[in-house]
Amino acid sequence: MAEESFLSDDFVSQLTAVGEVDILVGLPTLNNRDTVQRVVNAIIVGLVKYYPRERCALINPDGGSKDGTTEAVQAASIPDFRAVLASNPLRTMHVVSAQYPGVRGQNEALRMLFAAADLLGAKACALFSPDLESLTPEWLDAMVRPVLKDGHDFVAPVYQRRRFDGLLVKNVLHPLIRAAYGYQVEEPVGREAAFSGRLAAYFLGDESRREDFPGLGAHVWMTTAAMAGGFRVCQAFLGPRVAASKRSALDLNTTIQEIGGSLFRCMEIQQAYWTSRQGCEQVPTFGFQPVLDLDPLRIDRRRMYQMFRTGVDQLESVLEKILSPATLQAIGEISKAEERHFRFPDDLWAKTIYEFASSYHHSAINRDHLLQALTPLYRGRVSSFILENAGAEAEEVERKLDLLRQDYERLKPYLVEAWNRQT
Amino acid sequence: MSTTSAPPSTAVTPPYPAADPLWYKDAVIYELHPRAFNDSNGDGIGDFPGLLQKLDYVQDLGVTAVWLLPFYPSPLKDGGYDISDYTGINPSYGTLNDFRELLEQAHRRNLRVITELVINHTSDQHPWFQEARSSRDNPRRNWYVWSDTDDRYRGVRIIFKDTELSNWSWDPISKSYYWHRFFGHQPDLNFDNPEVREEMWKVMQFWAEMGVDGFRVDAVPYLVEREGTSCENLPETHEVVKFLRRRLDEKYPTRFLLAEANQWPADVRPYFGDGDEFHMAFHFPLMPRMFMAVKLEDRKPIIDILQQTPDIPENCQWGIFLRNHDELTLEMVSDEERDYMYDMYALDSGARLNLGIRRRLAPLMENDRRRLELMNGMLMSLPGSPVLYYGDEIGMGDNIFLGDRNGVRTPMQWSGGWNAGFSVADPERLYLPLLSNPVYGYQTVNVEAQRRSDHSLLSWMKRLIRVRKSSRAFSRGRIEFLQPRNHRVFAYIRETGNERVLVVNNLSRAAQAVELDLRTFEGYIPVEMFGGNPFPRIGRLPYLLTLGPYHFYWFRLRRL
Amino acid sequence: MNELVVRNLREALTAVSQIVAQALPRVLAMVIIIAVGWLIAWIVEVILRRLLLLARFNRLFESKGVTRALSLAALPSPSEMISRIVFWIVWVSFIMAGVNALGVVALQREVADFVSLLPQFVVAVLIIFIGVLAANFFSRAALLAAVNANSPSPRLVSGFVRFLILLVAIAMALERIGLGYGVVLVAFGFLFGAIMIGLAIAFGLGGRHIARRILERRFAAGNRDRREEKDDEGSHL
Repeated sequence: MAEESFLSDDFVSQLTAVGEVDILVGLPTLNNRDTVQRVVNAIIVGLVKYYPRERCALINPDGGSKDGTTEAVQAASIPDFRAVLASNPLRTMHVVSAQYPGVRGQNEALRMLFAAADLLGAKACALFSPDLESLTPEWLDAMVRPVLKDGHDFVAPVYQRRRFDGLLVKNVLHPLIRAAYGYQVEEPVGREAAFSGRLAAYFLGDESRREDFPGLGAHVWMTTAAMAGGFRVCQAFLGPRVAASKRSALDLNTTIQEIGGSLFRCMEIQQAYWTSRQGCEQVPTFGFQPVLDLDPLRIDRRRMYQMFRTGVDQLESVLEKILSPATLQAIGEISKAEERHFRFPDDLWAKTIYEFASSYHHSAINRDHLLQALTPLYRGRVSSFILENAGAEAEEVERKLDLLRQDYERLKPYLVEAWNRQT
Repeated sequence: MSTTSAPPSTAVTPPYPAADPLWYKDAVIYELHPRAFNDSNGDGIGDFPGLLQKLDYVQDLGVTAVWLLPFYPSPLKDGGYDISDYTGINPSYGTLNDFRELLEQAHRRNLRVITELVINHTSDQHPWFQEARSSRDNPRRNWYVWSDTDDRYRGVRIIFKDTELSNWSWDPISKSYYWHRFFGHQPDLNFDNPEVREEMWKVMQFWAEMGVDGFRVDAVPYLVEREGTSCENLPETHEVVKFLRRRLDEKYPTRFLLAEANQWPADVRPYFGDGDEFHMAFHFPLMPRMFMAVKLEDRKPIIDILQQTPDIPENCQWGIFLRNHDELTLEMVSDEERDYMYDMYALDSGARLNLGIRRRLAPLMENDRRRLELMNGMLMSLPGSPVLYYGDEIGMGDNIFLGDRNGVRTPMQWSGGWNAGFSVADPERLYLPLLSNPVYGYQTVNVEAQRRSDHSLLSWMKRLIRVRKSSRAFSRGRIEFLQPRNHRVFAYIRETGNERVLVVNNLSRAAQAVELDLRTFEGYIPVEMFGGNPFPRIGRLPYLLTLGPYHFYWFRLRRL
Repeated sequence: MNELVVRNLREALTAVSQIVAQALPRVLAMVIIIAVGWLIAWIVEVILRRLLLLARFNRLFESKGVTRALSLAALPSPSEMISRIVFWIVWVSFIMAGVNALGVVALQREVADFVSLLPQFVVAVLIIFIGVLAANFFSRAALLAAVNANSPSPRLVSGFVRFLILLVAIAMALERIGLGYGVVLVAFGFLFGAIMIGLAIAFGLGGRHIARRILERRFAAGNRDRREEKDDEGSHL
């Protein structure tokens, strides 16, 4: 089969001009004119400050912005480096913008980035979001250094989180990936990432890249593919993440569909790896983490609880196709508890997720429906989690989460069995 | 000799055609030390008769001028820059008559001769200083700068930080302090004193009358001192320069003055005045950036510095160089850039000296012929008159273990024979040992061997100089940078009158492709200048060129 | 009189026994044919399923998106579908053969009629079948959407969707076999209505955030409940 050429002539010609690089930074954009210049400047200052001698380039795949984002990227400049860094850059800095077709997810943008990294022989690549407001030049260094200086292949970010922030990550993604894939990565769906040139080439050549992961699903795929591919994974502490667009504010349901769906799909693609993976590995975490207890996030727990109850009550006919009778019955029972005493126990939650994963795999019902049916249960779990940790300190919360992770790990054989069950 | 005697009567008049007064703009200058070039009397030290024997070689090389490093009587505590007699010749190098003969022979070969004019200071052995220090009321007392305390001109930087603690030194004889910007044995002359200026003019007259074509003026920024200033680049200093220039123009209109001022281009610019100070000044900051650009594989440093370089008067010219008799100076770079240069070119700390690197061109380029060619190609095509340092045309090496800057001042390597053909003396007697390293030693690197091959570095350099001289666009043209997207390619147009040259340099160690926007030259045919082959006519589309590693092209753009 | 009765009875008995004697083997034959037919159909199905599985038949369709389309419609995989259809075709043909073997003229005519009607009938069954599946799928979708949107009485909504779709399907199926000409008209009416309702629900669910934002902007932003709801949505990833 003849290979398709998917890079535009203009992009290739710009890459030719860039030539071989050491560090490649990817900045996929789509209508981010208001925030993108600051991000570009922070990245450039980071490169000049921390990697003055390395050959660097910034690649900006754009999904067809109508608001002049690429123009803003190209116009971004540091008028006086001496004022910022007390020195001038040694090298030419290339900022390459190129359009990619289609606006679904980040797949195409990532593909361009992988291709560019491969073509230019980049040693390290970093990926940043164009709407990051809390991005400082230090982030660039934090992400790139482990790859460049310590031979790691994939760097996941660690953010400074507010309490009750990122509950889907804490209750599902982190423990599930940790138990299944055997890596303790705190933010498997970080919006930032760094990877080695070797890994970029692997990503580019990996068949599963062609899957159409929705939204941030491509990030799930990157993380899990790096783990399943046997690459050296680590994480880097960045700090609090503040972004201009509250994309996650859109819809919990969509988030679960995109992220949960992508993770289940990835598990299916990589089942040969994780079903035989034993144990769990602590990955190195680079960077200095200050002890900082940020204000907890306000969440309307009552409403969550109430929606959970309605869900369990109304969706019985759907849930019985997904969950085992025992699990379903247990959930039914907890849903009858009075609100004050309501608890969604860790092991039950882990089993629930595992059964959803394997039902997804077996296509017990339509996969979109299956993911939608998970939402009310997740609301229940969140509600219980918040109730349980209402007055707890950050450390206490972390300890409880650890118990949850242990339950996930303990029950992994349960997952493997359910997954491999013939229907 | 306590005062300068009248100019000798047997003055040599320039035999060559009543020359273009702007000859220095087209010059290709060859810098050499008589001590290091050729020894005729077997005392282990090069001399003028020896140099005379090798003038054909210099002429054959294609250069148009020879710059002789100081050859005056001197205690030689600072490479001859500590002069004890301005109008004499150090006996080791010969006599005034030998020098006259050299001038005549050089001029016969259309070679100009440039000498050193060290006017800022003398040696403390100079009779003037001996007189001045002898008593406080000696008539020569205020030919130098004296003080009872050492706290005048506070805050003036000390240049030789490694050896000097103060710019003042105590004179135990007259019980007072004297001012010196360099070593303590080099007291500064007092240019506030009109007698000193007149005396210096006499010195210039002495040599100009003999036929010297130009003076390289040493340590220009430091001539005059004023309280409360940095004592550098003062208006009064410019007055001194203007004075000397005026006198020179009146009497010897085709001679020229070359300034050594290791400063930023904007600070050097005043030394051109309105075309009434120096004819030429060295462009110091460009040099390290050429080295940096090749290592970074990025044209940015060169373009940055040339864009910061102000325009100079029509009758002025920059002097540019890759290497000279001093260390590769890194004063005019930022700290990051200096660190980078050290890490890239002088990992061995023995190669570092003061704020610089004491190495020759070939070792700096790791003896890579392609890089040597590229560097020389840029030297010959960037704006300014190029200065070649002796030995670099054959790729001589250095010996950083000889102390100070002696490592780059070893004898010229003429052949693989006895003392490299430099001297018939016993090898132990040579003023500095020859290089005997298997890679750079005289058995491997010498003129004789390279003369036999059309493809040697020497033959290539001759060709390069010949081609450079074939177009005035190189020497007099203005420069316009092309900014192709590929930053590893450094391309520019040199243009004067109807001569246009396109220069494309690949700064990278790998092959590169580049698309040049040459729309303004649509319809022109680029003719490669070394081989003479025409390339495809320039059209409206970007002009695509591919270049091998460190490869460069010179194209004459022709409208046919 | 008695004799006559007895004779008649005997004749009748003889006739019945003759009929029975005549019919019994045929009935027996029919039962056997049907039973054997089921067995053969089952064996064919099993073999076919195995073969298709071995041939990775599903894989063939995966790339063409058929499997995904079927699963979207909550239908089993292609190999499962085909083996089940083949089973029914084989068995129904055996049932026909069995009924024919009875030799009852009237029945034979009925069978002939049935066979001539069969294509229409199959289409009608197919319509009902698809209708049921579609009803399942869309009612479930409505149920989930309603639950996740926290809208009142999700099951009612879902039941209504199921009812509508089934109604349309049945109407269309009846029309297929020629029962009631006007049904088509009604069906179209229903269909149109169902589509409109479906669209309305879909738009309502899909666009509820936009609607909410508009409403929020319209009414004072200080509404506490609304803000909390926003918090609730913003903290998971």
